[in-house]
Amino acid sequence: SLTRQPEEVFDIICKLGEGSYGSVYKALHKESGQVLAIKQVPVDTDLQEIIKEISIMQQCDSPYVVKYYGSYFKNTDLWIVMEYCGAGSVSDIMRLRKKTLSEDEIATILIDTLKGLEYLHRRRKIHRDIKAGNILLNTEGHAKLADFGVAGQLTDTMAKRNTVIGTPFWMAPEVIQEIGYDCVADIWSLGITALEMAEGKPPYGDIHPMRAIFMIPTKPPPSFREPDQWSPEFIDFVSQCLVKKPEERATAEYLLTHEFIGNAKHPSILSTMIAEAREIRESQAFRNAQQNCNNAKTFGAGDAYSEATMKQRDGTLVPARDGTATADLAADLGTMVINEPDLATMKRHDTDPMDTNRPKYRPLFLEHFEKKEVSRASNGTLAHSPPPPDRAPPRAHHRAARPVWEGSGVKCKVSVVQLAYLSEGELEARMARLDAEMEAEIEQLRARYDRKRRPILDAIHLKRKRQQNF
Amino acid sequence: GGCYLVSPLVPTLVPPYLLEEIPHWLIVYSKADQELDHKLRWNMFRLSELDCYSDMLTRLYKQELQLIVMKYERYRSALLQELERRRRAITYHTHPNY
Ligand SMILES: Nc1ncnc2c1ncn2[C@@H]1O[C@H](COP(=O)(O)OP(=O)(O)OP(=O)(O)O)[C@@H](O)[C@H]1O
Ligand SMILES: [Mg+2]
Repeated sequence: SLTRQPEEVFDIICKLGEGSYGSVYKALHKESGQVLAIKQVPVDTDLQEIIKEISIMQQCDSPYVVKYYGSYFKNTDLWIVMEYCGAGSVSDIMRLRKKTLSEDEIATILIDTLKGLEYLHRRRKIHRDIKAGNILLNTEGHAKLADFGVAGQLTDTMAKRNTVIGTPFWMAPEVIQEIGYDCVADIWSLGITALEMAEGKPPYGDIHPMRAIFMIPTKPPPSFREPDQWSPEFIDFVSQCLVKKPEERATAEYLLTHEFIGNAKHPSILSTMIAEAREIRESQAFRNAQQNCNNAKTFGAGDAYSEATMKQRDGTLVPARDGTATADLAADLGTMVINEPDLATMKRHDTDPMDTNRPKYRPLFLEHFEKKEVSRASNGTLAHSPPPPDRAPPRAHHRAARPVWEGSGVKCKVSVVQLAYLSEGELEARMARLDAEMEAEIEQLRARYDRKRRPILDAIHLKRKRQQNF
Repeated sequence: GGCYLVSPLVPTLVPPYLLEEIPHWLIVYSKADQELDHKLRWNMFRLSELDCYSDMLTRLYKQELQLIVMKYERYRSALLQELERRRRAITYHTHPNY
């Protein structure tokens, strides 16, 4: 299929959304008139592994797994052609309706998801990126797993190249710890996804992803914030997914026999939800088209696919790249209703809980960071006030450029003593600065490793080129 | 490279680069001042070795990352403890008969 230029084969209709690695478009297969989805991922040329992975995905043939038809290279973009799911992802639907799902809706979605996982796991394939954003619904309400393999491959490759670490909230503890993992890693992610559908975001979704990486393997398994709102069967289902020891975790096959799944209703119960989401989407597209029309008058032609583009969804990615429009977006999204009886909870979230599901985790802390509320001292120190003279360890002054609590537990105790001398306001201010300061330090670390890796990557590149020439 | 070992006996995926010990010089390199970096002639190594060193750098990066996160986690809990201690002290003072 690599012989013809993709644009000869497909007409791009509109943009469906954007993820961490590229954009997804709705497209028409010219020859057959079939509607398809095409994911366009920018890649550098030595990512042949991904192609291999896609050919494995093409072998999958299940009604519960999004069908992959093939891939094309277009300049530096990889086009992945797949089955179109008219209702979009479960996380899209939550975001559009600003509403979490009911237990019945969740059970209905989970039954198909489990069948998809059972299919993959039988073939010893691991999905590696189960989350509401990768569960797509067709217009009949059937759920299908998307992004199988590709996401994992891309994450791996990118992680190795750029020292970027993927989003951890759905990751099983053993995946984070890199001690080796198998199919049941997906079951953990499924449990997290169930919580995400019920509560609007995964556990730890509002804390810094790096802290989440630290907490997932060290803390007991997460559970519902308000357990009395949910049936014992649902709670039990989730707790069987969220077992820390992989060898004790339930399998997809086993979970299909779980009472919660056994009581699941027909996909038709999802039709109101799907219709509502669709209406919102269409009215947004309409508003956008109007806006673009107006803009076009003023500024001339816009973006090629802008007509029916879901601008709002696009907008979610803009802040991550150029730091604009964050405030507008937050205002736009408003507050989400967390299931009917729970109006009290939503007041407690001062941000849109759906935010956490959005690529690419540049949450509160970063906004914070970007606003430069952190007046990081020029010497980069985190310990702002000097320690009280009589309690200070003698070396503290020489180490002024480094945080006092750095390193061993002993120094940590010293800092605790010092904390006793700070005002409550100062303590709170320090607390508020923590994420941004950690972020800055991580950024320095990342930059150092990128520098250190550069000559190695250059040498690799050179050698590959030479190999190709001979 | 990015491929995973699939053993028929242990149905677990372990990235091969996790199994090898990181040479001491690479650790030194990862922390050393940038000015000395040009002294290393990377093109003397074989391609497979280079891939391996690149993966090892990722491992070192993650280790250091974890140290940073843990350091902040400790500091956070110290701050929380101190705040908590004061709040308790206030409650105690405002309810002397409690
Ligand atoms: N096959 C498809 N049919 C219909 N819509 C799709 C399809 N694939 C993706 N989409 C839409 O495109 C959006 C972006 O998908 P994409 O996979 O790029 O990002 P994501 O799933 O949100 O995050 P990640 O990059 O981590 O996978 C999805 O949220 C969904 O709305
Ligand atoms: Mg996806």
